[in-house]
Amino acid sequence: MNEYTYEEIETGHKESFTVTVTEEMMEKFRDITGDINPLHNDGEYARSLGHRGRVAYGMLTASLLSTLAGVYLPGRRSLIHEVDVKFAKPVYIGDTLTVEGAVDDKNDTYSLLIVKAVICNQDGEKVCRAKMQIGVSG
Amino acid sequence: MMTHEEIMEIVQGIFRDVFDDETLIIKDSTNSKDIEDWDSLEHITLVVSMEKEFNLKFDLKEVNELANVGEMVDLIASKL
Repeated sequence: MNEYTYEEIETGHKESFTVTVTEEMMEKFRDITGDINPLHNDGEYARSLGHRGRVAYGMLTASLLSTLAGVYLPGRRSLIHEVDVKFAKPVYIGDTLTVEGAVDDKNDTYSLLIVKAVICNQDGEKVCRAKMQIGVSG
Repeated sequence: MMTHEEIMEIVQGIFRDVFDDETLIIKDSTNSKDIEDWDSLEHITLVVSMEKEFNLKFDLKEVNELANVGEMVDLIASKL
């Protein structure tokens, strides 16, 4: 886990990590949230809508933004204030996602980072974009 | 030098943007009790927006001591 202080992070600082979406992650997410929508749980139904299989929960993909802030940027001192997220393309089980965040701006008054994050699949397609406001505690 | 009224007009625009309400009317006496969504997170958004708009920096202590919008406008005026 990174332990950056506010002062150590400059605008433009980037961090990234990679995760593969698994069946187990889907099951755990369904159990936690109670979202039993067939798009995420019934392969036949998902294929009838033109997908190649069950679609990963968008919020499961977005949950990786929590890891981006809490483990990487800034890491231990993170407190997420705000996340504005857009889901650009579907994610499927087995996709390998690269989550990258870059510090777009800083606010010294509140020790805030404005982070632009993109999540890409193994083909380099952007599946998710987000703008995050993250506080950095002292 | 901007007048209190000129700053207030810009501040009102920032409030309307932050609270996504084009009908919002801000007065000197307006405070967080008058706007339902004005919580601590939106207060940060307001302060950050004002720093950007007026190209200035606040001190955390001085923004925490503000009682209403009028005092905020006076603080901005003192830094321009």
